Amino acid sequence: MSIATTAIPSPRQPSRRKSLRFDDRRQLFLLALALPAVVYIAAVAIWPLVQGIGYSFFDYNLLRRGGAKTFVGLDNYVQVLTDGTGQRALINTFVFTIGAVFFEFILGLGLAMLLWRDGRFNRICLAFLLIPVTITPLVVGLIFRALLAVDYGYIGYYLAEWGITSPRGLLAGTTTALPTLIFIDIWEWTPLVALILLAGLKALPGDILEAAFADGATSWQRFRLVILPLLLPTVFLALVLRMMDAFRVFDSIFVTTGGGPGDATTSLMVYGVKQGLQFFNIGYASAIANISILCIALMAAAFTLLIRRADVKANEQ
Amino acid sequence: MTTMTTTATLPRLAAPARRVTALQKRIRIERTALVLIIAVYMIPVLWLVATAYKPPKDMFSSPPSFLFEPTLHNFRRVFEVFDVWSLLQSSIIISLGSAVLSLLLGVPAGYALARARSRYAIWVAYLFLAIRTVPIIATLLPFYLMMRDIGLLGTWWAVILINTTLNCAFVTWMMFSYFRSLPRDMEEAALTDGCTLFGAFYRVALPTVVPGIIASALFCVMFSWNDFLVAMFLTNSDSKPLSVALLAAFGTKDITWGTLGALAHFSTVPIMLMALFMNRYFVQGLTKGVH
Repeated sequence: MSIATTAIPSPRQPSRRKSLRFDDRRQLFLLALALPAVVYIAAVAIWPLVQGIGYSFFDYNLLRRGGAKTFVGLDNYVQVLTDGTGQRALINTFVFTIGAVFFEFILGLGLAMLLWRDGRFNRICLAFLLIPVTITPLVVGLIFRALLAVDYGYIGYYLAEWGITSPRGLLAGTTTALPTLIFIDIWEWTPLVALILLAGLKALPGDILEAAFADGATSWQRFRLVILPLLLPTVFLALVLRMMDAFRVFDSIFVTTGGGPGDATTSLMVYGVKQGLQFFNIGYASAIANISILCIALMAAAFTLLIRRADVKANEQ
Repeated sequence: MTTMTTTATLPRLAAPARRVTALQKRIRIERTALVLIIAVYMIPVLWLVATAYKPPKDMFSSPPSFLFEPTLHNFRRVFEVFDVWSLLQSSIIISLGSAVLSLLLGVPAGYALARARSRYAIWVAYLFLAIRTVPIIATLLPFYLMMRDIGLLGTWWAVILINTTLNCAFVTWMMFSYFRSLPRDMEEAALTDGCTLFGAFYRVALPTVVPGIIASALFCVMFSWNDFLVAMFLTNSDSKPLSVALLAAFGTKDITWGTLGALAHFSTVPIMLMALFMNRYFVQGLTKGVH
């Protein structure tokens, strides 16, 4: 939007020529400032990505003698989508993402409403709530693994003792492991969702809120009819951000279950890392990575469309 | 409290006064709820802290013991088993190295993209945003082979270089949004006064976005410090950071949860303190970096 405003034509011919020259110089200067980062990203991020796309069409295993590559076309992709663990990983990743983001959003919204009132007390509360966000996901995984241990964990022992869970604990059950991991993710990231929504709440136009108060709407009406529609762009933003992060889940799974029991908690990232960096199946792992990039891109595109539609709707009102 | 006494003598004011108390009551309920939520929320964190000070005999007691005599035994043990200073050194070098490199690359790029008149600038900015969302495994595999070929595998440089891709993309996007919301007038005025182009960037624009730079730096450090996947595959036993040591220590026979908890202190406390003391910048980074 600011592109158009800068081009103010100067009335005098000579100075205009001079300013044009100056402007060229300026654009060159800006180009020079941007160039190192662009070159860096191209060389260290985009080039490997392109290479990864290339590898995914080959049967390429580093552990085989000489690391010979054979072109196999789309075989790797077909294999990921048809073999048991690949399908499991894809389903698990989606279940994890949707489950975690759904609860994080509901709880985060509740927290944001609680924290909305400005004040020292709420700021201190927020600072405390953000502690989980700063803890290494690795350590978070370790903490929960210990807490849920059936023999000495503060939570796991009593859950098993009172017969709520199987004697082997939550993380060892094929049906309970994934929900437990979702719970851990909710614990760690709900405050972040709350924080983003809180920033959105604080940016809401005060006069509209006051008008809603003056109208005598009940708090539920106020929330559903006034606050939520206005907050929608922020809601989408929080959702898309968390979805993209949750889709890449690796650390907490790797530490707590390692993808097990069986492949009950194997996510795409866990599967990719296993295939690529433990078995050095570079071609196959690249296909897994590219499938997850594709999923993330599709999710981002879908949300961008939704945001745009919400924006249009908000402007109409 | 004065309102209470006035309501008794002046009935006319009763209605607004009751509204105030209703609001006060509501705030009280909200605050109680918040305190309860935080109390439950902190259990895992408290466990981590408590475990580190637990004597070994209480570690695996079943049912778990809640009361114990605090001891520094686990910390002594950590220093016996691990070369903590070397691990800390690796973590610090990797995170600071990546943060510095990312800022050097990302801050000028963010400025340039925000000020450039080219219509491609916004697309380049979006590209940087997209790079941030790529799962690390996609770049890690080819990057691993690349590092193997140029002989940087096992060095800090390998970790710094790959962390910098994500960090630099983050910084560029973040600074792009900071510079974009900054009016151009001051720079224009400085340029008219004969300031150089670089001067307009360095001496006029840059000082106004210092909060953004601090927030960016905080996040770069946090990201590299907390990562273990990249470091696990790109470092060796001499260059591994704390996170990798934590993971390796876990599951080893002679390492108890207590020792692990003590080691985890070194890996979580610095970042936690940073986030608490620089809360304003931390919050800015969390909310602004995503817009």
